[in-house]
Parts: sequence; C-alpha cells; structure tokens
Amino acid sequence: MFSETFALVVRDLKRWYRTPGQIILVFTTPLMWLLLFGQAFNIGKLAQGAPGIDIREVFGGATDYFSFMAVGQTTFIILFGSLFSGVSLIWDRKTGFLSKLQVAPISRASIPVSRMLSTVVKSLLQAVVVLVLASLFVFIPGLSGLRFSPDFGILEALGISAFLILLGLSLAALFVALGLIVKNEETLFGMINLLNFPLMFTSSALIPIALMPSWLKTVAGYNPITFVVDGMRQLVFHTSVGAQYSIGVDLLGITIFAALMISLGAVLSRKALLRT
Amino acid sequence: MCVTVPSDNSVIKVQGLEKTFPGDVKAVDSVSFEVREGEVFGFLGPNGAGKTTTISILNTLMLPTGGRAEVLGSDVVTQASKVRKGIGLVPQDLTSDEELTGRENIELQSKLYHIPSVEAAKRADELLALVGLTDSQDRIVKTYSGGMKKRLEFATGLVHQPKILFLDEPTLGLDIQTRTSIWEHIRKLRSETNMTIFLTTHYLEEADGLCDRIAIIDHGKIIALDTPDGLKKAVGGDVIEVEVAECNTDILELVRSIKGVTLLEGKCSGNKARMKVPESNAALPLILESFWNKKIAVLNVAVKKPSLDQAFLEYTGRELRDEDKGTGGKQATAAAKKGRFGRRR
Repeated sequence: MFSETFALVVRDLKRWYRTPGQIILVFTTPLMWLLLFGQAFNIGKLAQGAPGIDIREVFGGATDYFSFMAVGQTTFIILFGSLFSGVSLIWDRKTGFLSKLQVAPISRASIPVSRMLSTVVKSLLQAVVVLVLASLFVFIPGLSGLRFSPDFGILEALGISAFLILLGLSLAALFVALGLIVKNEETLFGMINLLNFPLMFTSSALIPIALMPSWLKTVAGYNPITFVVDGMRQLVFHTSVGAQYSIGVDLLGITIFAALMISLGAVLSRKALLRT
Repeated sequence: MCVTVPSDNSVIKVQGLEKTFPGDVKAVDSVSFEVREGEVFGFLGPNGAGKTTTISILNTLMLPTGGRAEVLGSDVVTQASKVRKGIGLVPQDLTSDEELTGRENIELQSKLYHIPSVEAAKRADELLALVGLTDSQDRIVKTYSGGMKKRLEFATGLVHQPKILFLDEPTLGLDIQTRTSIWEHIRKLRSETNMTIFLTTHYLEEADGLCDRIAIIDHGKIIALDTPDGLKKAVGGDVIEVEVAECNTDILELVRSIKGVTLLEGKCSGNKARMKVPESNAALPLILESFWNKKIAVLNVAVKKPSLDQAFLEYTGRELRDEDKGTGGKQATAAAKKGRFGRRR
C-alpha cells in the first residue's frame, strides 16, 4: 500500500514540475490575485470610513484588508488545486494508464489516495508561496504587505498547515472520486464550475462576514472554507479579535467536514474502481 | 514455429466464458479453451470479435457475465489479486506516462510490482537493452517515436517477469521494421524463457508466424482451434489458377475428366479457371498437358497453397478485412497477400 502510493505520488509530482511554465504559474497566479483583490479591490478603505469601528473586528484580527485577504487567498489555492485533482484521472483512463494500475497487484485505494496526497503537496507549496509573496509586498513602495503577528512561530505554522491540509484532503477526496466516476472532462469541468464560485464567495476568505447581508452570514457560517480561514487568521495575527469561532471549533468544523468528504470519496472511488 | 511441444500443464483454463454488455451485446459467447504452459497462444479474429474483452476478463479488468476462467490456478473473479501477481499485460494502446522518461516508466512499474529498487535498476538496464532503448532511456517518452513507445510498453510488461504475458494486438499500427523487431522479441522470449504468451491479433501472418496454437474467434465465439498447420490442412487442398483467353464450363468439365485429377471445386472467375485440388504438385502437369492437347492457350498459372487466410475464409465465410461487410465471401483474395488484412483503428 505505502510503497505504491509513494511511487504514484512521486509520479504525479514529476508530471507537475516538468510541465513547462508550471513553476512560473505557481508564482504568477497568486501574484495576480494578490494584486487584483488585495490592492485594487480594497474594501479596507470602505470600512475605514466608518468611525468608532475597530478595524480588526471586521478583518478577523488583521489591521488591514490586504493582510485579511492574503490569508484567505491560500484557501483559494487549495480549493482550485483540489477541484482540478480529478481531471488527470480522466486522462489516465483515456490513455490506458489507469488500466495498467488496475492490472497491477496494488491496493485499489492507492490510486485515489496517491492523487489526493500529490494534490495536497502541490497546493500546500503554492499556499506557502502566497504567504511569502504577500509578506514581501511590504517592500513595494506604496503597498502594504501581509503583516504576521510577531508571535507567529513554528506551532502557528504547523497549525495553518493542518487547516490547509484538511481542506485540501476533503475537497480532493471528493473530486478525485468524481474524476474516477466521470468519464469525460466536460462533465467534470461542469461540476467544478458549479462548486467553485459558491464555495469561494459564500466564505469569509475575501469578504469579511461583518460586511455580508444576514442570509449570507448564515451560509458563510457553515462554509468549510470559513472554518479554515477563521482558524488561520487567529494563528497568523495571534488574536481572537474579530474571530467567528474559537480556534477549537474551527478545527472541529473542518475535521468533521474532512471526515465526511473522505468517507464519501472512499465510497465513490471504491465503487468507480470495481470491475463490471 | 510449432516444433517444441509445450507441456500439458494448463496455465489458463476457460470454461463457457460469457460477457454480455448492457443493451444485450454479446461480446464473448460461451468461449472455452485452455492455454498450456510455455506456449504462444493466439486469438485471431477481426476487430470487435471479442478478443480484447476476453483479455480484459483474464486480466481481472472486467467481470464475466457467465462461465469461469482460471489463470495460474486462480479464479479471475474471486482471486483477482493472486492472478495479478503472475501476469503481465502489454495493452493495445500506448499507456506509458508521456511526461516521464523511459527508464522512469519501467522503474515505476517495478514499484507497482514491489520489486526492490536495486533489483529494479538491474532489470531496467536489461530490458532497455533488450528493446534497444538504452540510449534514449533518459528522454521523456513524449519525444519517442511510435515504435519506441511500443517497445517501451513491451519492456514495461516484462519488468516483473510474469508467468503469462498478454499481448493485445502487439503490432497494431506499427511500421514493418518495428513489427519485425517486436516479433523477434516474442520469439526470443519463447525460446529463452518458459513464459506463456497469449496474444490477440487480426494479422494472419502474425498468428501464423508466432503462435503454437491459434483460436479463430468471430462474433464472440471460437470457431476453430488448432496449430497453424492443422488449421491450414483442414481447409483441404491447393488452389490452381490458370488464366486462359476465355474461361467456361467446358474447360472445367475437361479438368474434371482428367484421369488422376480430383477436382474438389472449380469455377471461372473472369478469364481465370480456379480449381481446388487435394494436392497441386501432381495435378498441375496433368492439367496443363490436357490444356495443351486441346490447344487451349495458357496465359498464366498460379498455385495457392493453403494459407491461414484461406482457413479463416473457410471457417468464417469471409475474409478478415471484410469484417464490416458481413458475409462478403466473394471478395478477391489477391489483396490478401499484402500482409495487412485488418482495418486500422
């Protein structure tokens, strides 16, 4: 089980970093998002206009919008990476590579699990790039960067990794399973688009919950991404000011979501890989 | 090729195997056969005859809807993981990972078969040399030619030294050179190892040249199973074609009346008299002599010894390349000599 899973993860990662332009995309995509949302789309100015509001209450503990959204940005990276994790399985089915795996005496589980793990590794690396790039923005004249709390340390880093890994595993579990079930990319792309924007915009990743209409507040309160960004912001800014939930509840929320999605993914993948 | 007698030990036993796809499409229809250890066994038939479906069932990729199949003593339905350990598959399609190098593909395959890495490296060296890819082993497969990819596929299927190697249309769509080299590899395996080889093909000369025994499969059924020579013998007789100015029934009557010539079948096709006789060596001089005596000018003479394509025609009522036309038995045999009988996918 472990050796073949590891071999398949290595294979996925090799395919990834060898794709021309992939490394450039790892840097440019987050950069674009950070510039677009963090600087141009600056909600901070709106919020600052209102007197008597502790800006940190609105921005989940951050003192500016850019810091607020830079943390939210990492969940997008995870979200997108995971949503597309199943696409390559459709290709593997078309080229016959999947049949080759099915003929081999390997654990069937290694097929979806290896794809989930490689997806998480890839998107976690990208998320780190986002955080590093965002904090480097401070060196660009006229821009403010992501301001980590001075208390941010190794434990906090591990904490945010845990949040991102759980989110990545949950979504990848589902979309890898869908990649095994669905036989053509068009259908899968349709499903990706269906979930993509609702998941993004009903969370507090980009827009502070305080600024949402009340119905959206309710929806956002249950969005798994909200649990993740809420927990991460408390770790990055080292404060519970402006937090939606306590960090324990955030962790519990995403853990329950992960358990549900991984179970669902396991059932679906198993079914998809059964012989007919 | 059928000099060596394989042992009686059957490594594949198939009893009444059936596969019906949704929509009541019977791809495999109560097929039974046994493959002996160490032999090269061929499934010969047109596209859509049920060859790949049978291979998929034997390879544990598909479940049969009826009957049973045992590979290396294990049931393909209930003991799939045991079967998987002992078999290797070289599929019809090119399934190597195009983004990896040739060597990495072989090494990945080794890991899937739990071969320790030192041993895996050694086998990769040997196999790359065997298929002549040593110099291009570190190139990304995407840059390989079609023939190189196929040879890599072949090497990949051998990495865990399977007891049975399944080759699904091993030379489909390959150029003559690559095809010849693949055939050489198969012959080499046949003579140097005790590996059993199960191959499907719709090339007659491939089946004829490589296989110890051939099953002719059509519409999901095995309609004949024998050695290539046995199949040819069953067709019975050589065909003598004599081109004259004008062929008519008188000429055929004349041949029928010759003493010492048994005309099994005679007909005119154009200005050619096609005559099937049990054995042409003795009959031909007699026929030509009587034509000479009757002052019938002979323009051309051709003798066709029984070939596998004739056997196929005999058993299925059609030629392999007529697969789409139903029972088109009347198609000319001339093109059948060209060596490529099937339709390209």
